Amino acid sequence: MRFVKIIAIVALCASCALAQKPAPLPKDLPPYGPEKPVEAPPVKIAKLDNGLTVWLVSEPGFPKVSCTVAIRGGYAADPGDRPGISELLSNTIDQGTKLRNARKIAEEFQGAGGDLSASAGRDEIQVSTTILASKVEPAIAVLADILQNASFPDDEVSLAKKNLADSLQQREADPSFLASRAVASVLFGRSPYHVIAPTQESIAASTPADLRKIYAQRFRPDQTVFIAVGDFRNEKMFELVKTNFGSWKAPAESPVADTARINPEPAHALFLVERPGSVQTTIELAAAGPLRSAPDYESAMVANAIYGGTFGSRLVLNIREDKGYTYSPYAELNTYRAAGDFVTRADVRNEVTGATYNEMSYELNRMVTSSPTADELTQAKRFLVGIEAIRLQSRSAVAEGLSDLWVKGLPPEEIGIYGKKIAATTSDDVDAAAKKYFPASRAAIVAVGEGKVVREALAPFGIPIQPAP
Amino acid sequence: MKRAICLFVLCTALCLACSAGAQEWKPPTSMKKLPNGLTVVVSEDHSAPTFGICISYGIGFRLEPEGRTGFAHLFEHMMFEGTPNSPKGVFDRVIESGGGANNGDTRYDFTEYIETAPTSALDPLLWLEADRMKTLDFSNKNLENQRNVVEEEVRVNVMNQPYGFFFAIDLPGKAFDTYPNAHNFYGDFKDLDAAKIEDVQKFYEQYYSPNNAVLAIVGDVNPAEVYEKVEKYFAGIPSRPAPPRPTMEEKPQTAERRETETDKLAKVPALAIGYRMPPPRSSSSLAAAVTGELLHNGQASRLYQALVKEKQVALSVDGGVNWPLGNPFEYNGPTLMASFIVYPPNVTEEQVLAAYDAAINELATTGPSQQDLDRVVTKMRSDLYGQLEIPITRASALSHAVLFTGSFESVFNTPDELTKVTPDQVRDFTAKYLVSTNRTMINRVPAPARPDAGKSGGAQ
Repeated sequence: MRFVKIIAIVALCASCALAQKPAPLPKDLPPYGPEKPVEAPPVKIAKLDNGLTVWLVSEPGFPKVSCTVAIRGGYAADPGDRPGISELLSNTIDQGTKLRNARKIAEEFQGAGGDLSASAGRDEIQVSTTILASKVEPAIAVLADILQNASFPDDEVSLAKKNLADSLQQREADPSFLASRAVASVLFGRSPYHVIAPTQESIAASTPADLRKIYAQRFRPDQTVFIAVGDFRNEKMFELVKTNFGSWKAPAESPVADTARINPEPAHALFLVERPGSVQTTIELAAAGPLRSAPDYESAMVANAIYGGTFGSRLVLNIREDKGYTYSPYAELNTYRAAGDFVTRADVRNEVTGATYNEMSYELNRMVTSSPTADELTQAKRFLVGIEAIRLQSRSAVAEGLSDLWVKGLPPEEIGIYGKKIAATTSDDVDAAAKKYFPASRAAIVAVGEGKVVREALAPFGIPIQPAP
Repeated sequence: MKRAICLFVLCTALCLACSAGAQEWKPPTSMKKLPNGLTVVVSEDHSAPTFGICISYGIGFRLEPEGRTGFAHLFEHMMFEGTPNSPKGVFDRVIESGGGANNGDTRYDFTEYIETAPTSALDPLLWLEADRMKTLDFSNKNLENQRNVVEEEVRVNVMNQPYGFFFAIDLPGKAFDTYPNAHNFYGDFKDLDAAKIEDVQKFYEQYYSPNNAVLAIVGDVNPAEVYEKVEKYFAGIPSRPAPPRPTMEEKPQTAERRETETDKLAKVPALAIGYRMPPPRSSSSLAAAVTGELLHNGQASRLYQALVKEKQVALSVDGGVNWPLGNPFEYNGPTLMASFIVYPPNVTEEQVLAAYDAAINELATTGPSQQDLDRVVTKMRSDLYGQLEIPITRASALSHAVLFTGSFESVFNTPDELTKVTPDQVRDFTAKYLVSTNRTMINRVPAPARPDAGKSGGAQ
């Protein structure tokens, strides 16, 4: 495999052009054919009387249905003395209800041809499943039960705590987790967004009563979206949602407070996470990025595709295809409800740690100082538009994409507008986004690896070294 | 082509009473062989203006030469390094400018090249695929570059990771006795370093011929037009002598094999267990697949319930037949049913094993209930359909099936074939194959926290 992240199809991608001197195209290569318009699926929007938002996409034919439910309030809403408890909550939400025990819940989903997946993010908890269309009725009944009646049985919570504590210990061996956690701290400091996982202390302190309390606060119809995509008729699905969620009541108390806008301004310093015995250094350059709703979000996406977001990008051609420093370099923009970030990342062998940092900075700054070539711009735009079309093939990806928009307060139509905005991006737009987001001096440097190796490799650059917060 | 009627009318009510089974879904699909031996499969999907391509070559880890471990995968990387007509960078540039993405994958029995893009890119992509089936740019510079990239890949996925993929590399290494099945497929660095450009050339000539390949194209396409295009771009490529296929047979295993490894990156121990499976497409293959999923698939599985929930001796259980490098239907030689169990530091290997054996013994004695079996089969059918949802993964499934069997029918039939497996078949399969004399175990424990402690156990 060329790049591990592509496994899940094109969710991300990496692929190529020679940035400086592109090889000429073969003379016999046939041209691209006529483009067919890409239509985003029409979304039927509805609301139940209790405030539950319902977004439905009917795609008859292929016999499966993806359901995703997003609930406002994730890590950023966790109590200060229980950081990351949202993960314990998402691990235990399917471990029992008033009507079903954990085994029964797992078996009912299996019998519908699906798994239940529940996960916590900074802004939300998301619960989803993809099942056979013929089993949608029993599956939604269990889903509704979990969302309204989860009971967090004492014995299940105590087992989940033990397992989460052990798995956290295990994750702490993973350089990628260590890097992400350090980046979150460096970018978001003491704001609620610095939490991306629980701590051993918060796991130990959490009780079933804590979970029940948070569940009662957050899981309410007026703070929830139900999304279904697949082989059903909208009227029928809406009836099914009404039957299963219609009697759900929102409590009188006010819901989780919204997170205030966060603008990261990290120090341009090296934050070192020591990992003795590491045969590679994981380097991340991390800075603030645009919000998903920002007018220059799409311009920044195009700039990133030119810089490091594709196999053909400048960074990948430089440090992978030309120099062979790394297997898996990439750059990406991540957005949350109240913030955005922009990270460049590579795992490289110890000897080229300094050289890799040098090339990353060089390529970031080159985006600021030189406009993209016409070919680079066209390629990046066509790539992003095409990848969006490919993403929309998958029912679960459409459901997730819609859920992501809802969490960030955007309307479902945005799923169709994104491609048009990308296509309309100009060279000037890219330059403006590059000037704003790409100067290497805006970025903090996070390195996970052998301490001595990293310190020596980065010493010549004269960057202040700080331990990761 | 026939689609079950209930697909068009939302079949909740209709099918509520159905157990597993009775739901057929089959998109229009056809196949042709060019005179040079290239097999072409086309399957339609008009839900979006896109397509997926998979070209699989009949070459995988098993066939890489001795002294050249990791070569099939290193070679896969060389396929992206350009040709005399189309220099390095062109392929990726054309696909990305066409709004698509591409990748390659090497497994035991095939190497596949996959692409997906809006339909406007179909012509140039077929041309480029044909171009790299004619010849490559065999340059030392490219080889050196990709050798570095591959070695970084091994570092990031194996050497720098807790557990280092030992359940996929070390376990077959211990469970099998012959080079094709037992060697480290990611490659020893000394072998990767020894690879020469002549090796690349020879390998290409031996295995990358049209008659050793299956090209599948899925998406918003007109089959007649696709066959015409494929003819135009590929028909002129001459076929070559069929590559030799050495025997991969293993002598029967007669005794349990056990080993302990240390791991300097893992923080909690893990146990991998592998049972040798019956040959592919044999009379017990479906029962094997179902048993593997019954034991491992999700939180409802026997092993999860027994080890993680009831006995609480494990943190996680993963596994199945041909796991983790493929699904239980896509292999063409000896394979294992593997279990990968991560367990808490305060639990012993023997405690894990006792709980594991109890779950296996129960299945071997009483078998599953019909109800348990129906649930698992429904899940497997759903997973198999899931693989057919998107053009690029459907192209992969079709291409592998044709490579192994000469026909794509199994891709659409297997979901229904699974419903014929009986509880007795699962019980008998378990009693015959999941026995200690047929298994290999590796216990992987965190190395003591001394810099020079033990050997790394890393799979290099």
